[in-house]
Amino acid sequence: MKKVVEGSHAVSEAVRLARADVISAYPITPQTHIVELLSEYCSDGTLNAKFLRVESEHSAMAALIGAASAGVRTFTATSSQGLALMHELLHWAAGARLPIVMAEVNRALAPGWNIWTEQTDSLAQRDTGWIQLYCEDAQEALDTTLQAFRLAETVYLPVMVVLDAFFLSHTYEPVDIPEQEEADRFLPPFKPAFQLDTQNPSAFNQLAPPNVYMEMRRSLQDAMESALDVLDTIEDDYEKLFGRRYGAVEAVQCDDADIILVTSGTVTSTSRLVLRQLREKGEKVGLLKMKAFRPFPFEALRKHTAHAKKLAVIDRNFSFGAGGIFAQEIRSALCNLARRPLVFGYVAGLGGRDVTTDVIEDIYWRTKTSAHPEGESIWIGLHQPAPAA
Amino acid sequence: MIEVRFHGRGGQGTVVASILMAKAFFQAGYYVQSFPLFGVERRGAPVEAYLRLDKTKILVRTNVYTPDHVVVLDPTLLEGVDITRGLKPGGWILINAPEAPPNLHTYADYKLAHVDATRIAIRHRLGTRTHPIVNTAMMGAFARVLGEPPLEAVMEAIREEVPAKPEANMAAAREAYESVVLLGPVAEAVSA
Amino acid sequence: MTEQMLSPIVPTPLIPRSFTTTESNKTGSWRFLKPRYDEKTAPCSAACPAGEDIARVEMLVAQGLFKEAWETILQENPFPAVCGRVCFHPCEGVCNRKEFDDAIAIHTLERFVADTAMRYGIQPDIARRPVQGPRVAVVGSGPSGLAAAYFLARLGYTCDVFEAKSEPGGILRWGIPLYRLPVNVLEWEIGRIRSLGVEIHCNHRVSSDFLRDAGDRYQAVFIGCGHHRNVDLGIPGENLDGVEEGLPFLERVRAGERPDLSGAVAIIGGGNTAVDVSRCALRLGAKPVIVYRRRRQDMPAFEHEIEMALEEGVELMELWAPLEIAPHADGYRLVLQKMEVAAEEGPRAQVRPVPGETREMVVSKVLKAIGNAAEEAWMEPPEGDGKLLRLANTALVRRDDGPVLVYGGDLAALEKSVAHAVASGKEAAMALDTYFQDGWDAIESKVSACRVGQGPSLSMEMYLGGERCRRNPHVVAFQEINTDYFLFSPRLAQPRLLKEERIQGFSEIDLKISAALALREAERCFNCGICNQCDNCRLFCPDLAVCRDDNPQGRRINYDYCKGCGVCVVECPRNAMALEQD
Repeated sequence: MKKVVEGSHAVSEAVRLARADVISAYPITPQTHIVELLSEYCSDGTLNAKFLRVESEHSAMAALIGAASAGVRTFTATSSQGLALMHELLHWAAGARLPIVMAEVNRALAPGWNIWTEQTDSLAQRDTGWIQLYCEDAQEALDTTLQAFRLAETVYLPVMVVLDAFFLSHTYEPVDIPEQEEADRFLPPFKPAFQLDTQNPSAFNQLAPPNVYMEMRRSLQDAMESALDVLDTIEDDYEKLFGRRYGAVEAVQCDDADIILVTSGTVTSTSRLVLRQLREKGEKVGLLKMKAFRPFPFEALRKHTAHAKKLAVIDRNFSFGAGGIFAQEIRSALCNLARRPLVFGYVAGLGGRDVTTDVIEDIYWRTKTSAHPEGESIWIGLHQPAPAA
Repeated sequence: MIEVRFHGRGGQGTVVASILMAKAFFQAGYYVQSFPLFGVERRGAPVEAYLRLDKTKILVRTNVYTPDHVVVLDPTLLEGVDITRGLKPGGWILINAPEAPPNLHTYADYKLAHVDATRIAIRHRLGTRTHPIVNTAMMGAFARVLGEPPLEAVMEAIREEVPAKPEANMAAAREAYESVVLLGPVAEAVSA
Repeated sequence: MTEQMLSPIVPTPLIPRSFTTTESNKTGSWRFLKPRYDEKTAPCSAACPAGEDIARVEMLVAQGLFKEAWETILQENPFPAVCGRVCFHPCEGVCNRKEFDDAIAIHTLERFVADTAMRYGIQPDIARRPVQGPRVAVVGSGPSGLAAAYFLARLGYTCDVFEAKSEPGGILRWGIPLYRLPVNVLEWEIGRIRSLGVEIHCNHRVSSDFLRDAGDRYQAVFIGCGHHRNVDLGIPGENLDGVEEGLPFLERVRAGERPDLSGAVAIIGGGNTAVDVSRCALRLGAKPVIVYRRRRQDMPAFEHEIEMALEEGVELMELWAPLEIAPHADGYRLVLQKMEVAAEEGPRAQVRPVPGETREMVVSKVLKAIGNAAEEAWMEPPEGDGKLLRLANTALVRRDDGPVLVYGGDLAALEKSVAHAVASGKEAAMALDTYFQDGWDAIESKVSACRVGQGPSLSMEMYLGGERCRRNPHVVAFQEINTDYFLFSPRLAQPRLLKEERIQGFSEIDLKISAALALREAERCFNCGICNQCDNCRLFCPDLAVCRDDNPQGRRINYDYCKGCGVCVVECPRNAMALEQD
């Protein structure tokens, strides 16, 4: 049924439909609305789950590691500093191969204090072994969260569903919310391959010396590599039931494009509008939406961008001393190709600054009129410092 | 696409008005977006909320800079807050006030409507006498101003979404719908 | 969804997982350091002249085992109810808790434990040896004599106590005012000693002849008749009629006399007797003035007694020495010489007169309390005698023509205090028992083996080879306490009569405390060096090598698994463990 709901609540509804067993979280803006609604659902019986209140995000993740080890479906949500505090246990959850699902509402890191959107918090966790899926609207946030449980429980890796603060999390819009029985058909109960079991006691995750550790890491990477195919299969099922699919990447009018805008998160949605306007003017422009960041969709990226002359990558994030993180990864994915587009890395919208249609158009025209990128990263919309007296 | 900006004060239900209008328009077949001014909320401080309507899916996910219409839930905001900021010429300004504001020439480029939502809210015992909750009354008035959504859609949104006193809120919306004064284009009103 | 739809091949997760029990891993083979339970000595216990096992007493109180706590005191001291009132409690001065917040109220808790036993008429279960052959005579029924008789009786010896006065107790009965020690408390304690079979013969003054003839009936004589001869001031007028000695004055008051005093009364001296006299005088209507040749900090009296006296209204004149006492129409004219500090060496300052600075004061009465000495020469240990054996609080003389003589109490103790008198009686009992069992030459070594910490306090528990023998003489320092396990908490405040109520009469000043307060105070105790079964060792052991056990320790270390990490030793809050080379 279609309802007008807040982006955060679209995620909550998906967790309800997934019949999560254990939810643990620590409040932080802009994530709080997600678990706020879930805690109401837990208290009024709408959702039969254990809601664990904890004293920090680190503890929230620790609690879920315990719960997931016991073989139940688990969920948490966080943002920014909270995710940073979880860092140590993010590695643990992935290494222990626990299918935990987390909603990560992108928020800039302090200082200065900033509650607005930026992707640096989630991208800084790229090497933890978590699958990362970026969403552009509330419908996708709901669908991806529901899919995330099945993906996680198939490949035994934790999944981070990532959404922009406010532009997505606090925006009300129509969302098609599946019925519970439909959701049940898509997502069967979790049957763990391994779990804590008093009838069959065993020790988990003890010492792994050099003679076995590397194989375990490889096993994790194999799971990551399988995740794109698994996601594809899951989306087949999802599409059959609900008529929607997204893809690890989505190429919009890329086939004949000279310049392809590469985006993630809500910037993708606004870019669709810009794309339409530019196409109407006869510009040969395409749009590539990066939904999966981990695992990185190398093949799809190469396939859809091979014919383009230039990529304009819009990063609402930054790796200090390097550049926009998507641009960095895209460059490295393309560098061994014989024929490859020039990669223009744009940094825009940090700390919640609006990425408007004007900003995206400006990026397009800069790319079109530049023979080569003017630097590793091109910062858009910086206020000019006052001239020295 | 139509963009609307709501002005109010923290605690008056401004954001809720925007959300409920979104739901009402959604009921009337629109695609909608509603969101508050992103930031910290403080009771009594000026707040803004936004509403986008379109017949097709709304792709733009940015702030609202050039609204088509403006709704002002608290007349004291007319001084101190530039409620016409970015407002497109010819757009409606709906003000919660018993009568038109004195400095009409300020709004010469726009169309003006006013409704005594405070009195209506108090009569229907919404909120307290000192802090009446005027948002549902303003919704009814706004539906009349735009000619959309149908009053029934507004009623339905209130019935479904307002947890406390839904009947009184619906009655307030209806009364405001019926009593809102549509001055129309201010330039004409001033010259007349 | 059907299984076939999941076509992608998903690799099985590879994670570290073991189904083997960890018991097969005998981590004890890695050990090169070995923890063990090693109970040590608490500073309070070492400082207690009677060697009471205070840390253990407080542990028992905290556990609500009041009777056991009382018996633990009785093992070392026959007078818990008395000492819980009159002891100068050096234990509290060295309490490690003092470095943290405030010392434990050991004194108050001792009295609580004893009063609880008294209230319920409880009989202690204390081991006694079967009757031995030798008999011992005890001269004087003061604290040292009664303590000697008590310990000797427990060791199986028949004791006869000879007391010159009409009732037993010595200084406890006649020298300590009722507001500090009610008579029923003393009688209860003495009754318990009598119940051990000790015969107390009152109104039986002993002379030097007794020593000569005692050999017929006794193998040893303990002489603990105290210092009763008054020391002279050596000034004109000190023998004037009405110029009274302190101890006889206290004795009169204790016997029930209530001399009518008024106006200024001078008390000359700075010891406990002077303070007690002044406080009695105050209660009899006088305005007492203590005249002392040195300063307050030099006074041998216990500081808390001085403080209470001043609080009640006693006046203290420091650095004034009496020159002359003369008759006066209103009583006596006292001429005083101003003194000044000449040197600070030693425990008390050396003073000298300030030339030309004197003053006179008129008082209604003069009481002298400058000290006492042994009444007769035979009561002093003979100096230079080759057969004299001096121990910490006693002196033993072996005679060819009679029983062994033991000089104790004030006659030989390090300090004049009830606790030292008890220590003296205990030392005498140990020495005599050793002498009877193993001969004269064994005395010194056997007695010194019973030292608490570095001594000179002695433990009867250790002498008897009891459980607490295992205690290491190392005295636990504050730095050895793991204070992470303790919370700051205020010390129990001893409830007392108000100053106005006190001076109305001779009612006991210190009031009872509730069991709840006692428990809370005892829980503050660090229990330095003793295991109170807190279980930290077991909880922290990463190898589950600390096991509960039925042995007295309550714990056992399974060395198959103990790898010697030492976390148990570090996390022991009270240093009751040790880590050593395996």
